[in-house]
Amino acid sequence: MADTPIPLEVRNIKKRFGDTEVLKGLSLEARKGDVITLIGASGSGKSTFLRCMNLLEQPDEGDLIVHGEEIRFKQTKHGREPADWKQVVRMRAKLSMVFQSFNLWSHMTLLENVIEAPIHVLGKPKKEAIEHARALLERVGLTARADAYPAQMSGGQQQRGAIARALAMDPEVMLFDEPTSALDPELVGDVLKVMRDLAEEGRTMVVVTHEMGFARDVSSQVIYLHQGLVEEAGPPQEVLVNPTSPRLKQFLAPKY
Amino acid sequence: MIDLHGYGPRLLEGAGVTLQLAVLSLILALILGLLTASAKMSRNWLLHKVATLYTTVIRGVPDLVLMLLLFFGGQMALNVATDAIYDRFGVDWYINLNAFAAGVLTIGFIFGAYMGETFRGAFMAVEHGQIEAGKAYGMSPWLVFRRIRFPQMMRHALPGISNNWMVLLKTTALVSVIGLSDMVRVAAEASRATHEPFTFLIPVAVVYLLIASVSEWMFARLQKRYNVGFGGH
Repeated sequence: MADTPIPLEVRNIKKRFGDTEVLKGLSLEARKGDVITLIGASGSGKSTFLRCMNLLEQPDEGDLIVHGEEIRFKQTKHGREPADWKQVVRMRAKLSMVFQSFNLWSHMTLLENVIEAPIHVLGKPKKEAIEHARALLERVGLTARADAYPAQMSGGQQQRGAIARALAMDPEVMLFDEPTSALDPELVGDVLKVMRDLAEEGRTMVVVTHEMGFARDVSSQVIYLHQGLVEEAGPPQEVLVNPTSPRLKQFLAPKY
Repeated sequence: MIDLHGYGPRLLEGAGVTLQLAVLSLILALILGLLTASAKMSRNWLLHKVATLYTTVIRGVPDLVLMLLLFFGGQMALNVATDAIYDRFGVDWYINLNAFAAGVLTIGFIFGAYMGETFRGAFMAVEHGQIEAGKAYGMSPWLVFRRIRFPQMMRHALPGISNNWMVLLKTTALVSVIGLSDMVRVAAEASRATHEPFTFLIPVAVVYLLIASVSEWMFARLQKRYNVGFGGH
């Protein structure tokens, strides 16, 4: 399968906010079926790095290659920007993102949320989109909530709904931005379970998380970031079980 | 039944003028308001300045003065333009600025500035994460606007739009100064001729109230529609 393009490649991403350089040259390669977890203290740049992958943040330097297609950039007076926004739109449709604060569209029911982008972005027929959406809602255990609005759902339900919305795009890669950080502890388990199932069925995922158990059990690769640089990376058995960096050792040490 | 001394049909016609004027001005004001809000939120420096100048000037000058300025000034500007065309090309394109069009343009122009502020505030009240989710799912800026920003913004904008509409409706009474026979002008004329002001002014007040009540009901329905999913009222 040498011809199958790699779902997502990022090379040497750099990003500054004003005078602070938050990403100092980060690279990552997500091959089909990879589950890459990004860990690190807050401020290490892991969320910013993830947001550069679908260009919700514009990297100042670096390359981005989605399914073999390299994103073109140009310099403007506002800094570096994509040269062709149509290309960005097309690329984003291949990478769906799950946000920390869910961000389900509040004026639509759960079902409407799930069919929205497949219909309006991918051009799927409505009937087909609805069938697919119902199957996905069943999968995340939300069949009964299809007609509920996000404000009527618990955080855990909203996040599982957001995962269904992401799956409805049949994405090449799913990006998770601290998907359980805004949840009450008793709701975290259901969301993690859905994510474990996705990993098992071979979904390509990049996950920013604080859930070390998830990172240890599910990832194919763990990347520990410190101040915008990779401090340590590798399979979870090495990075999480036998860390070499003193900082990572301290980061993983029980806090209480 | 009150005796309208034969002014009934003209009053009715005047009420029609008032309603048409108000609705067309509202449409123009909504379009200008959306454009102004977009310009004010744009990172283009010139657009931002032009929009700010527009809202500042309009909101700082009395409506009546603006109306006279636009009506007389607009005619003069048109004359200059058509004269120039005649001199150069020998074509006579003389246009007489019709009082109705002038009224719509002026009122629409004035209320566009107020609507602009209403829309701007409403757009800023839409949670950023909602827009980001749209972008992240491959929506083009236009699709994000149409499917997410606009419907969510309307929830915040409707109370302001409704308020502006009520003021706009009453501002249409000013058009009588530029010679348009709206119902206020007809009623004033009839009052002078018959020395029975209440016979005419009270029905006029009732018609305004009626339009206001009907629109309040319509706005309440719209509000309900755009509030969907947000809980509360």
